[in-house]
Amino acid sequence: MRIVVAIKQILDPEGITVNRRRERIFINREERIINPADKCALEAALRLKDAHGAEVIALSLGKPAADDALREALAMGADSAVLISDKALAGMDAPTAAMVLARAIERLAPFDLVLAGQTAADTGGDQTAGRLAELLGLPQVLQALELSLDGGRLQVVRLWDGKPVRAAVSLPALVAVSPLAPPARYPHGARIMNAYRQMQVSVWTAQDLGLTPEELTPNIESRGQVFPPERELGTVVEGPPAQMAGEILSLLRMRRLI
Amino acid sequence: MDFSLNEDQRMYVKMFEDFCANEVAPFAQETDHEEKPPLKQLKAASEQGFLGAIFPEKYDGAELDMISYALLMEHLGKACVSTALTINVHVALVGSAILRHGTDAQKEEFLPAMAAGEMIGAFALSESGAGSDAAALRTTAQRDGDRYILRGSKAWVTNAGIGQLLLVFARTSEEAGGKGISAFLVDVDTPGVKVGYREKTMGLRGLVTNTVYFDGAEVPAERLLGQEGQGFAIALEALDLSRVGLSAICLGAAEAALENGTRFAVEHEQFGGPIAYKQAIQNMIADSRAEIEAMRHLVHFAAWLADEGDSRLRTQAAITKLICSEYAMRIANRMLQVHGGYGYMKEYAIERIYRDLRAMEIAEGTSQILRFLIARDQFAPHGISLRP
Amino acid sequence: MDFTLPKEYELLRRMIRDFARQEIAPLAKRVDVQEEVPREVIRKAAELGMMGVPFPQEYGGMGAGELGYCILMEEIGKVCTSTATVIGAHTGIGAMAIYLDGTPEQKKKYLTPLARGEKIAAFALTEANAGSDAAAIRTRAVRDGDDFILTGSKMFITNGPIADIVSVMAVTDPSLGPRGGITAFIVEMDWKGCSVGKVEDKMGIRGSGTSELIFNEVRVPKENILGQFGAGFVTFMKTLDVGRVSLGAACLGGAQAALERSIQWAKARTQFGKAIVHNQSIQWMIANMATEIEALRSLVYRTAWMVDTGQPFTRYAAMCKLYGSEVASRCISQAVQIYGALGYSRDVEVERMFRDARIAEIFEGTNEIQRIVIASDIMRQEGVRISP
Ligand SMILES: Cc1cc2nc3c(=O)[nH]c(=O)nc-3n(C[C@H](O)[C@H](O)[C@H](O)COP(=O)(O)OP(=O)(O)OC[C@H]3O[C@@H](n4cnc5c(N)ncnc54)[C@H](O)[C@@H]3O)c2cc1C
Ligand SMILES: Cc1cc2nc3c(=O)[nH]c(=O)nc-3n(C[C@H](O)[C@H](O)[C@H](O)COP(=O)(O)OP(=O)(O)OC[C@H]3O[C@@H](n4cnc5c(N)ncnc54)[C@H](O)[C@@H]3O)c2cc1C
Repeated sequence: MRIVVAIKQILDPEGITVNRRRERIFINREERIINPADKCALEAALRLKDAHGAEVIALSLGKPAADDALREALAMGADSAVLISDKALAGMDAPTAAMVLARAIERLAPFDLVLAGQTAADTGGDQTAGRLAELLGLPQVLQALELSLDGGRLQVVRLWDGKPVRAAVSLPALVAVSPLAPPARYPHGARIMNAYRQMQVSVWTAQDLGLTPEELTPNIESRGQVFPPERELGTVVEGPPAQMAGEILSLLRMRRLI
Repeated sequence: MDFSLNEDQRMYVKMFEDFCANEVAPFAQETDHEEKPPLKQLKAASEQGFLGAIFPEKYDGAELDMISYALLMEHLGKACVSTALTINVHVALVGSAILRHGTDAQKEEFLPAMAAGEMIGAFALSESGAGSDAAALRTTAQRDGDRYILRGSKAWVTNAGIGQLLLVFARTSEEAGGKGISAFLVDVDTPGVKVGYREKTMGLRGLVTNTVYFDGAEVPAERLLGQEGQGFAIALEALDLSRVGLSAICLGAAEAALENGTRFAVEHEQFGGPIAYKQAIQNMIADSRAEIEAMRHLVHFAAWLADEGDSRLRTQAAITKLICSEYAMRIANRMLQVHGGYGYMKEYAIERIYRDLRAMEIAEGTSQILRFLIARDQFAPHGISLRP
Repeated sequence: MDFTLPKEYELLRRMIRDFARQEIAPLAKRVDVQEEVPREVIRKAAELGMMGVPFPQEYGGMGAGELGYCILMEEIGKVCTSTATVIGAHTGIGAMAIYLDGTPEQKKKYLTPLARGEKIAAFALTEANAGSDAAAIRTRAVRDGDDFILTGSKMFITNGPIADIVSVMAVTDPSLGPRGGITAFIVEMDWKGCSVGKVEDKMGIRGSGTSELIFNEVRVPKENILGQFGAGFVTFMKTLDVGRVSLGAACLGGAQAALERSIQWAKARTQFGKAIVHNQSIQWMIANMATEIEALRSLVYRTAWMVDTGQPFTRYAAMCKLYGSEVASRCISQAVQIYGALGYSRDVEVERMFRDARIAEIFEGTNEIQRIVIASDIMRQEGVRISP
């Protein structure tokens, strides 16, 4: 079985503060990490590898610094890694990024399973996985928590309205893994050393993927940042349950919400 | 000037030595290791009159002068810091306040019982939000006819768990800072008083220090100590005396550390002879000895000021406590070092002394607050008035 | 000059930091109270290679050198000194002796399971009469055919109660003294005649067991001679040299953790109507801590680099241990002070850190011995020989 896992490197959100009043984002500590949901996807791939044997390929689209994210994936247990990095790819929008990734995944064929994170903790677009599936013509399962192989089919436990439900899909398929899926393993120290000292990360350029400048022209134009209005303070209701319920009811009525 | 002890004082010293050797020192290790309140030692101390050390004879006190009291604390501190501090809180913080500000009726009611050990005193000033800034306390005492109703909680009340009598500082008016604070003598058994969590501390493990809650506790008006609004001044005055006592305890504990270190250096051999022959060891011993002598003179001078009723006591007590707590910790640290690996073992007294002394730079005014007080006093004549 | 950490070490630090935060820190209090580092934690650490960081991968190690090992000790030293001590005695001295002077067969047989953490190592040098003066040991190894018969007892041995494999220093020829008369052996604790004696009750690092090891006519095959016959003293001193660098790293972690907690508390605690950090007394403490920590960090990591690049480093290793232990003790004591009474309570981490830190000034050669090492090394270049 060949599994491709798409991972994105992001700035650690813990190192960032948002100052609404000054409408600015401050980077206090510039530490780059693997997007949490993508790390869960990698873990899911490695669990399939542990259980059934598989070749796991980590794929990332990003700046040269994303090399570190791929080394981490190698340290965790990925077998090989590919970085798509090119100046021509700077400032891409989400549809273009999905298209580039799809092109790279096609180049990695044959594959049985493509895994991605459900959501990126920086942009929160929640669209890459779905777009990828469409572009690759694959069936997709979103919000996955657990994956297991049952004959030729993939059994998936996924979140549906906040509750885990079972789903099954035939391969090849694309599965988007939820950041609530089981957390990633710690990489072994020796593998960390070897990931840098012995293992390779292949680097593909736009040209390697046969991407034309037209294809890379963004469809979306960025016009600046807007800070959403701050949430208004809620009303705190206190007292015995029956009384609270009554109060909430009248509040909702007053605001014509019911 | 005369630096000698008078005949009484010399006699007392002999008595303190015997008492500590027989009734306190032998139990110091178990007091610490088992976190046992020093009840046995308190009972023995009451029999000697030490629990009313500075009370007049008519209240069954031993009527010691402050120098003798400091000698007592020094010897107790040498034997067991937990026991010494328990007694110092009882005598110098609580007893002295009643002695100075109590009505005759209050003195008669409390002092003999305290001297007999039937009542152990606790001093309830600090709160979770009011430590160094004690005047920020928020416990309230609301007048209601011939009673006060107490509400709030106190933190780090030493002796609360073994005591009967709480000297409680509470706000009787909204006036800011110290002015609105009054002092009350509160029986632990009063309904609405609850002795809570016993602190688990690094050292001083014989000390019983608790959080105390007041939930509408009714205190008769005749239990007000001094006047309304006088509470903070009463607390500061009591702290002057107890800082002298605490400094004497530091002195005693430092002496114990030095004795232990000296004995170890003589008996313990490395590189073919006692380690006492190594200059590094000699220096640690010499510095400690020198500092102990400095501490002794500071303690005696402050005690003398107290006996004389000299107003210089306020600053001098702060100076003495600052120096004595820091020196004592430093000395214990060196003497632990002299012990090598053995010093880290609970079998050796120095291990306990080191942990015990770490509290001294914090309790009854942190070193930082004492430095502030001393600097404020120094700058005051120059027209600069410092605020913390 | 380039001070950037190679990328693999950045990732390694992140992995260890996450592991320490998630798997070790939540247990640190329990480790202190229950006096044990859970075997489960050791097992988990071992699975990630943390029990053999500096050793080559061919022997089951991580292959991350002294630099990687210092990173490990710093990160674990931040959260739990007991755990750092267990790993330190295992990797930094116990297994290190075998790595430095073992034959390829010994490394295969002993170092490999140790590096993988399947077995636990200890380093047995100290005896009742031989602490700083390590050459004064009396444990004897007498030749008997192809074997040696080992008899004697070792004291204060870290990991003694849980060790499987111990590097032991014994006298093989009393007439020769330290140069020629002392030999190191690898001993398996399940051999006949090996037993664990008294387990010590200590001030701190209570989760790291310290005990006596008793060898009663233990038969040791000659293949288990570690290093040259008669050169055991050299093997052991060389091992201690390396161990001191990482001990300095663990101290660095402790000091850093104290600084971080101090900053948090100084921002959070209000007295006199403002956060206490607005007092220069507190600011100075924080500035001094931060400065000393940076100096220590530079010293430790430069020395680790010297070790990894094969330069002579004895003097600098002694400095790491000496300065590191003092900086850690100082910083942690200041953290206690900043916490006020709370810092004296066993409910907060700085209290445990204070008790834990004190050992680093004593073990793996007291700080006096480090000063002797440094002065001797300096004076040797001047042609002067110093005797301890
Ligand atoms: C063993 C023990 C027994 C005790 N027993 C009693 C008792 O019986 N009764 C009682 O009432 N209290 C008792 N206490 C409490 C003790 O008096 C307080 O701990 C002390 O006043 C310090 O207050 P805090 O702990 O709240 O520290 P904080 O006041 O919070 O101080 C925290 C830190 O800030 C510093 N700081 C605060 N303000 C300033 C400033 N303006 N300038 C510079 N630095 C500043 C302090 O020095 C300290 O380093 C006891 C404490 C201990 C440890
Ligand atoms: C918790 C703990 C864990 C330990 N773990 C181990 C272990 O795993 N393996 C092991 O082998 N040992 C271990 N030890 C022993 C430790 O290394 C020794 O305690 C240490 O070397 C000091 O020896 P000592 O305790 O006998 O003190 P001593 O050597 O007797 O020292 C007493 C004092 O004399 C000073 N001194 C001695 N000689 C001189 C001199 N020439 N000049 C100036 N001052 C001098 C010392 O600095 C010290 O202050 C451990 C000890 C402890 C407490």
